[in-house]
Amino acid sequence: MTTQIIKTTCPYCGVGCGVDAKVENNQLIAVSGSKDHPANKGSLCVKGASLHETVGYQDRILHPTIKNERVSWDRATHYIAEQLSQVIEQHGPEAIAMYVSGQILTEDYYVANKLMKGFIGTANIDTNSRLCMASAVVAHKRAFGSDTVPACYEDIEHADLVVLTGSNLAWAHPILYQRLSAAKQARPHMKIVVIDPRQTASCDIADLHLALRPGTDAYLYNGLAQYLIEHGYIDHNYINSHCNGYEDLLKQVSHQTLSDTSHICDLEDDLVSMFYQWFAETERTVTLFSQGINQSSSGVDKGNAIINCHLITGKIGKVGAAPFSITGQPNAMGGREVGGLANQLAAHMTFSNPQDIDQVGQFWHATSMAQQEGLKAVDMFEAVAQGKIKAIWIIATNPLVSMPDSESIREALTQCDLVIVQDVSLSSDTLKYADVCLPATTWGEKSGTVTNSERTISRQRSFLTPPGEARHDWQIICDIAKEMGFNEAFSYKTSADIFREHAQLSALRNSGNRDFDISELSLMSDQAYDNMPPIQWPINSAYPKGRARFFEDGVFFTADRKANLIPIQPKLPAYPATHNELILNTGRIRDQWHTMTRTGKTSRLLAHTSVPFVEIHPATANAFNIQENSWVSLQTPVSKYIAKATITRSVRQDSVFIPMHWSDFFSSHGKANSLVRPIRDALSGQPEFKHSPVEAKSLNPRSQGVLISSLPFSPPSYVEWHRIPYEHCTLWELMSEGKTFTLSGLKAYYPRIKDWVSITDSNENFLHAAGFIDKQLTVLLFSAINMPSIDQPWLLSQMGKTIPLLSRHLLLTGVPQDSTQACGKIVCSCHQVGENTIINTLANGNACDIDTLGELLKCGTQCGSCVPELKSLINLHQA
Amino acid sequence: MRNIVKQHNPMNSPIHTNLKKPHLVIIGCGMACGKLLEALIKRDAEHYHISVIGEENTPNYNRIMLSPLLAGEITQEALILNSLAWYEANRITLYSGEKVIHVNTDRKSLTTDVGTELCYDHLVFATGSRPAKIPASGQHLKNIFAFRTLKDVEGILQVVHKAKKALVIGGGLLGLEAAYGLALQGVHTTVIHRSSHLLNRQLDSAAGALLQTSMEALGVNSILNDEVASFEGSEAVKTATLKSGLTLSVDLVIIATGITPEITLARQVSLACNRGIKVDDNLLTSDANISALGECIEHKNTTFGLVAPIWDQVEILADRLIYSRQSPYVQRPSPTKLKVSGIDLFSAGDISEKTDDQVILIQDTASHIYRKFILRNQRLVGIVLFGDVQGGNTYFELLDSQQPIPHLLPPLLLGDLTTHSAIAESAHLGSENDLTGATL
Repeated sequence: MTTQIIKTTCPYCGVGCGVDAKVENNQLIAVSGSKDHPANKGSLCVKGASLHETVGYQDRILHPTIKNERVSWDRATHYIAEQLSQVIEQHGPEAIAMYVSGQILTEDYYVANKLMKGFIGTANIDTNSRLCMASAVVAHKRAFGSDTVPACYEDIEHADLVVLTGSNLAWAHPILYQRLSAAKQARPHMKIVVIDPRQTASCDIADLHLALRPGTDAYLYNGLAQYLIEHGYIDHNYINSHCNGYEDLLKQVSHQTLSDTSHICDLEDDLVSMFYQWFAETERTVTLFSQGINQSSSGVDKGNAIINCHLITGKIGKVGAAPFSITGQPNAMGGREVGGLANQLAAHMTFSNPQDIDQVGQFWHATSMAQQEGLKAVDMFEAVAQGKIKAIWIIATNPLVSMPDSESIREALTQCDLVIVQDVSLSSDTLKYADVCLPATTWGEKSGTVTNSERTISRQRSFLTPPGEARHDWQIICDIAKEMGFNEAFSYKTSADIFREHAQLSALRNSGNRDFDISELSLMSDQAYDNMPPIQWPINSAYPKGRARFFEDGVFFTADRKANLIPIQPKLPAYPATHNELILNTGRIRDQWHTMTRTGKTSRLLAHTSVPFVEIHPATANAFNIQENSWVSLQTPVSKYIAKATITRSVRQDSVFIPMHWSDFFSSHGKANSLVRPIRDALSGQPEFKHSPVEAKSLNPRSQGVLISSLPFSPPSYVEWHRIPYEHCTLWELMSEGKTFTLSGLKAYYPRIKDWVSITDSNENFLHAAGFIDKQLTVLLFSAINMPSIDQPWLLSQMGKTIPLLSRHLLLTGVPQDSTQACGKIVCSCHQVGENTIINTLANGNACDIDTLGELLKCGTQCGSCVPELKSLINLHQA
Repeated sequence: MRNIVKQHNPMNSPIHTNLKKPHLVIIGCGMACGKLLEALIKRDAEHYHISVIGEENTPNYNRIMLSPLLAGEITQEALILNSLAWYEANRITLYSGEKVIHVNTDRKSLTTDVGTELCYDHLVFATGSRPAKIPASGQHLKNIFAFRTLKDVEGILQVVHKAKKALVIGGGLLGLEAAYGLALQGVHTTVIHRSSHLLNRQLDSAAGALLQTSMEALGVNSILNDEVASFEGSEAVKTATLKSGLTLSVDLVIIATGITPEITLARQVSLACNRGIKVDDNLLTSDANISALGECIEHKNTTFGLVAPIWDQVEILADRLIYSRQSPYVQRPSPTKLKVSGIDLFSAGDISEKTDDQVILIQDTASHIYRKFILRNQRLVGIVLFGDVQGGNTYFELLDSQQPIPHLLPPLLLGDLTTHSAIAESAHLGSENDLTGATL
């Protein structure tokens, strides 16, 4: 047996923690945080710490298929190449799209981008990072002239004021939150402000929480700019030397008074001015912003409203002072580096600069260089729906769940000529719409690099054998590219080859005019690549060991090297909630990741929250007649979401909150994003996930309950359900408003099970049943009008067990029966006194003869038949 | 005619007759009598001079245990409830093996078949019952037995070791217990039952079928929907012909189709009788000096065959006889249990479902567990438990008290009695529904 520690990085959030993977005989047996990784310094959150429980090969796609039929890789590759070439020939390159993911590695991303933009000839490649930080990218570019994250994680620790705005750092970026929390503990004077309509877990360490009206963030930050200007807290020297557009900004914000701000943000004046004053007087201020800002129809403006405040006070490029966009995904930043977004070219070059296009085309020896930006995610799927795009290639993402207006995505994919899905998990909803399905490798099997939110490039390393015929994403893409005739440009032997080319491209005619420059790595050996420690870009001759902060010198990447102050006119969300509607907010929960295809595999991560929910304020719940834990439907004209209510004061009265993770695989109507309209920011194309008007309705279950099954089960169409997978079985929460669950129905679903124990009610108010195969507990159902109170962990622990024949109907109580209460074989039939009870009574000395037994237990006092048996028990067990 | 009190003392025990004490005479020395004696003595051993006249040659024994005796599971001594020594110690005069042939209610005296004459101040009829008759011909043949008395069982035990095939007529409680006894003696036993399932008065057909299977496992087969038309044989019974035409070879027959109140003497004495001796709520017959209890009586058109109601009657009667306390006897439903080892069943209340009844069923076919609960207007009205009888008495209390129970469903019915116990405590159900009324 060999034990190895492999240094790699976590595949979850944008913090990008280092992970030490303990591998024995090609098995991942444990994980721990890498002590030498700058992001986490040894810590891991619960998701990361459970990684070894999610690498099982169950639910993996193992072979390529075409129209659900297994084919060889050669056949699949040839088929795709042929089909794509045909589409190009008949409809032009714009009829092809690729939709990729912040989950894939930079090398995968690089070749995908290269194939689309340089060889197929379209920039119709977009990534699910569009849903995450596209607004921040545009805000950065507008302000800095480049998509530059100026800060590093240490700045959060050095700051005296940290503003978390639109970020539930505690759950979305747990390790960064832990660092912040530890810093505050070490330096108690540090202040933390949370700006979020919801009172999230991040508020636990906050000095101030502003539960602003959803979508009014830009007003709050314009108000801040106005406050800073009015009260003389701005840095005139910095503005004069390093910023453009101050006059316009002044004009834009000066008319907005503090009371205007408080009114529109639905906040108290005192609290707003407290935040403003703290910001004004704290030199070291970091504003950490995330999806609450980005996922908006005016997300770019919101980002710039924040950046404006930092620029006019000079709180940027300094230790502990910066606006800091934190990304959701592990490699959203890597995607930005290679140009994974449709409006990016590559290596932080842009389509708006024709020279850039030529340069990249030449570098790639491109045969068909795209000349303009492509379609961003929402537009891309709309073009699919309109038939403009004939072939879409989806890699490592589940748009059917994650995109807004899921129904329209379903329709688009259904009618698309060619849908290629290259993925890992069979539980991806998108797979159902694939014409061609390609099995890819995943974390633990893949090898390459990722970049985290502070620009640190880290290696992900492989240590597991891929299952079945799974191949690396970059290999699949290159094979298809070669089959299409682009042999030379895609003849990489290793991911290191790709990385070196990527590094070379970053250096291409880059004399400090582009922020992204890793030229120092462009000649690195395979061995150096293999051993590459985490390093923060840029990595060039000026900064060979990386650079913690940008803009210390006040020099930006605009033409005049000055930052742009962007005057913005705040806008409310595109669709306000009308009377009787509530504002839907969506977000992450602590222990799940994205659409749960990985984190849904381990019960440890499902323990915290195992089913979707609707958080609703008590007053609102009252108004809508919704009780705690009762079923609720949230509806738009096109879709609905059904889950149980959690009544909490953590949401505003005008809002409801639901988790974003559940898919059609995990629930019947649990897709949060099916309620989200495809409204997006005009500049970034990022959808407005955080603000959707919905109607709320309390549902009246005729029957609800829990089914635990070791066998496959597909719920009938009249049932609402949530699926919770466990290691050896699956738990289904079920609810039906119309029909009830019947024993005959249950038996019909499980023809293999002949051995049933049940409690049935002729009024059909409840049904509890247990099914056995070879005496082993295989299926359990508990249903009733009201949710039966059962001990789920205990029931789960009974699955697969052989239950003693005479006590197995007691399973149907749903709770463990105290074994000390079991009376044993009945001795006295009249009074039903059991052997164990009698023996215990005798052994305790509480009774010593027939009379005292009779007085205590009544046994033997009626018909007297058991008296002889009692006598023999007395002889045997008398104390 | 010998007057007053006994001259003839079969046990030769010294009896200190106190002439001032009223004389209580009990006719019948069965279980009701035995229990009544205990109840009287417990209240006041000196209140009466008591005499007991019993036809059988034994003091009170536990009739319910005749089947384990038949099965060879216990000895005869284990059956005896009140020994002769007990009678002696309690100064009760027992006239064993005597049959009362005349009662003069005017003079308040009686005469037995051996000439004992007693005067009584109060007389109690505890004459019990006799086996019900069946119309089949050929019942005079040898090796055809009833299953009522120790003598019956002694008779059966004398021939059982030679028997190969036995028939038990009657698939009720008594018949099944007899059949079980025979099967345990190694006799191939078949039960003939008129109805479509066993224990049809206590069980529904599903539980009846389970019972049939369980009985088969114990070596007892059943023929349902059939009756014996005739027994054939020269001296001893050889065959039985059923109404269906089927002929069975048989060398031992037990007829256990039920019981009929023993009212021959009562009728002769002109006590008001119907099926049984009519008694009022105080268990007084039409004669103010004569009470009656047990299987021989008819109270509000009901006769009795289970011990539980008779134990209630014992308490009522003892209270009246000793304390002159008149608390009316109230019939209460009593649950049925089968005394066959390895078969647990429990039945109570009305098990005939009505259209609007709510029926809750617990079924485990492989474990032979079947529990049925019939609710009417949210109240428990009928219970059938087979295979697992846990909680039976609790359910019976709920049935008896008629409290609404839907909020306790379904855990309560599955055997989780914790939900109920809190409620029972608050309602003081436990003590109210003590079936025996007192600890004996």
